[in-house]
Amino acid sequence: MYSVILTELGISVFDDEKLEKSFPFSNPVKEYLLVKNKESKLNELINYLASIQRGVSVSDDALLAILKKNNIDSQIMEDSELERIQASKPQIIVDSGFASNPQDALGKLREFALGLSSSKVTEVSESPDLHIIQAINSLDEIDKIANALSSRLREWYGLHFPELDNVIDSINGYAQIVMAGKRESLTKQVFEDAGFPESKVEMLSLISTKSRGGDISDVNLAIVQSIAKQILDFHDLRKKLEEHVESEMQTIAPNLSAILGTAVGARILGRAGSLKRLASLPASTIQVLGAEKALFRSLKTGSQPPKHGLLFQHAMVHAAPRWQRGKIARAIAAKAVIAARVDVYGDGLNKTLLEKLNVRVDEIGKKYENPTEKDIRRPESFRRDGGNFRDNSRRRDDRGGRRDDRGGRRDDRGGRRDDRGGRRDDRGGRRDDRGGRRDDRGGRRDDRGGRRDDRGGRRDDRGGRRDDRGGRRDDRGGRRDDRPSSNKNKKRKQFGRR
Amino acid sequence: MTDQVQIKTKRENSLEEDNPAFFWIKSEGQQKLATENLVPGNQVYKEKLIVKKGIEYRLWDPFRSKLAAAIMNELENFPFENKTKVLYLGASTGTTVSHISDIVGPSGIVFAVEHASRVARDFLDRVAAYRKNIMPILQDARRPKEYFSVFGKVDVVYVDIAQPDQTEIAIDNCEMFLKKGGYFFLVIKTRSIDVTKSPKKIIEEETQKLQPKFEVLQSIDLHPYDKDHAIVIAKSRG
Ligand SMILES: C[S@@+](CC[C@H](N)C(=O)[O-])C[C@H]1O[C@@H](n2cnc3c(N)ncnc32)[C@H](O)[C@@H]1O
Repeated sequence: MYSVILTELGISVFDDEKLEKSFPFSNPVKEYLLVKNKESKLNELINYLASIQRGVSVSDDALLAILKKNNIDSQIMEDSELERIQASKPQIIVDSGFASNPQDALGKLREFALGLSSSKVTEVSESPDLHIIQAINSLDEIDKIANALSSRLREWYGLHFPELDNVIDSINGYAQIVMAGKRESLTKQVFEDAGFPESKVEMLSLISTKSRGGDISDVNLAIVQSIAKQILDFHDLRKKLEEHVESEMQTIAPNLSAILGTAVGARILGRAGSLKRLASLPASTIQVLGAEKALFRSLKTGSQPPKHGLLFQHAMVHAAPRWQRGKIARAIAAKAVIAARVDVYGDGLNKTLLEKLNVRVDEIGKKYENPTEKDIRRPESFRRDGGNFRDNSRRRDDRGGRRDDRGGRRDDRGGRRDDRGGRRDDRGGRRDDRGGRRDDRGGRRDDRGGRRDDRGGRRDDRGGRRDDRGGRRDDRGGRRDDRPSSNKNKKRKQFGRR
Repeated sequence: MTDQVQIKTKRENSLEEDNPAFFWIKSEGQQKLATENLVPGNQVYKEKLIVKKGIEYRLWDPFRSKLAAAIMNELENFPFENKTKVLYLGASTGTTVSHISDIVGPSGIVFAVEHASRVARDFLDRVAAYRKNIMPILQDARRPKEYFSVFGKVDVVYVDIAQPDQTEIAIDNCEMFLKKGGYFFLVIKTRSIDVTKSPKKIIEEETQKLQPKFEVLQSIDLHPYDKDHAIVIAKSRG
């Protein structure tokens, strides 16, 4: 029986040990992949095999499929034969005339391996999901930089016009005013152009005349203004990135975007590494992506497992009362995996996913409308033990009360969530207004920070007790864990800051 | 600097006198591990290059490479030498692969498997492109049947892929590619398999899985070079 052998450098037909005919690849990487993907025509080979009129055994599944499609009487080789080919590949390549000697064969095989690997790397680098991940990460980084720079700007320009800091919440608005120059040149027009409402314009022009700030030299002002300019540029860039992420997500992952929203979706995507990998994750993993630290600690020490990581940012989760959040996060995660799979393997937008999720979340809302006794009791244990993961969410819940109120509102907007990108900007003002409040809270939070330290000290004193209360340590862990979300709060605070 | 360097070629276990696999080189007052650079002038991970008597050596950092850490921690069997054929799973950016490539020399070969394209990019650019004895295989170690460009049997299979089921994956690969009596190095990340179990227990359990087909020769804790890794060295039962 003739054997047809696929090698990296071409296809050969052997009769026993004797070469009958060989078909070298002119571009091995390309042609080899075409065969492997069953896209090759292989006309010459097929004509030849058809002309010899006998059954052949084939070394490769993909090659076999191509031959069969062309009505060549063929079958796959026996394992022992395959093994022999695998063992003597360089010799087969030489015998086929694809290389002049074994050394040459090795060199050509290596060239092939390099070429193939490089083409894979190139292919992956072009995949849009990796670019989305870069974009969303850039966005988060820009936020960090802009926040830090904005604090600096407020400090510096504040030497000249300290009162402004308390009146202007938005980073952008503050930077725009700085761009107008010294206090004296801050006319009503400037404030109007920066987009402030009339009431605020009045107040601004009033305080600018009564400021207790010192003079600022032209040189210093120029530098402060370039900082402000940078911040404004960052603002534009951020907007661009946000829109880009939004539209790219809609294109490559419409279903995931429908379930998670484009921003949260992109962040989850970033954690998973790629859309394909996200599609292959279990829902339970997606539920806690972004809370890895807490998860591992929980596995190790038996502390409370996290209920949500990045999903906390999802409107449905953080708008819900604390005791429902874990359940809602689980429902969202379950739908998110399916959505990712549809995005990877199916096509188009599948609306029933979101509908089903809404039904499920409503269900959770009704079924668990009131906290169970367990849910209520937990806060006390928090006070006693220093808080674990859930207790933390209780803390959040203190604030949560308010947030829940708002949550309702936000829920209504659920449908509108898609155009959030733009919306968020619109809401900017509102958010800023609340900023003051949030800042107060921020202060409180700092106080708590202090307390936390105190506690740390106390805990050390009590060293002896610490051992039998392993739990306590975990608890603290839990608290640490909360950081992603508290970070987020911090970020928000700063964004909305004054 | 170069002038003060002393090179002592230390005889290790089974290695032949005229063909040392690695060297102990005095640098900054300490004896340090090094391999002879197969591609003079080429650095892989910013390791130090030292020339002595016209030969260039690359310092081999046990904090960066687990195989070097194993040598520092009294590795008893070192089957890598001139002409050795190696199947290496989990090449990453190629730190360890590059030193093995130095050791096996122009007539040896390292089939280096890695599936993450981000690290493979660096591996190709910095290591595989320069070293003619490396066959880069950008594929998943779970599917050894699909490796392109791997042929024949190898003398050593080295596995460092940090997967929960890595032992099973490794055994499949050995079955296909390791010659009878060949060596098997398995890096065990003591936390990647199951975070809830103690490292010792994990190593024991993984070693158990090898028993039917391998004779376990040694298991080495990589402390202090690496916090939670160990290497198990085994020999396939011929
Ligand atoms: C700990 S790193 C290896 C470090 C490397 N051995 C060294 O010493 O320089 C593990 C590598 O294995 C790769 N890997 C994990 N699973 C794999 C799989 N199934 N197939 C191929 N490579 C895999 C990872 O992408 C990662 O680069």
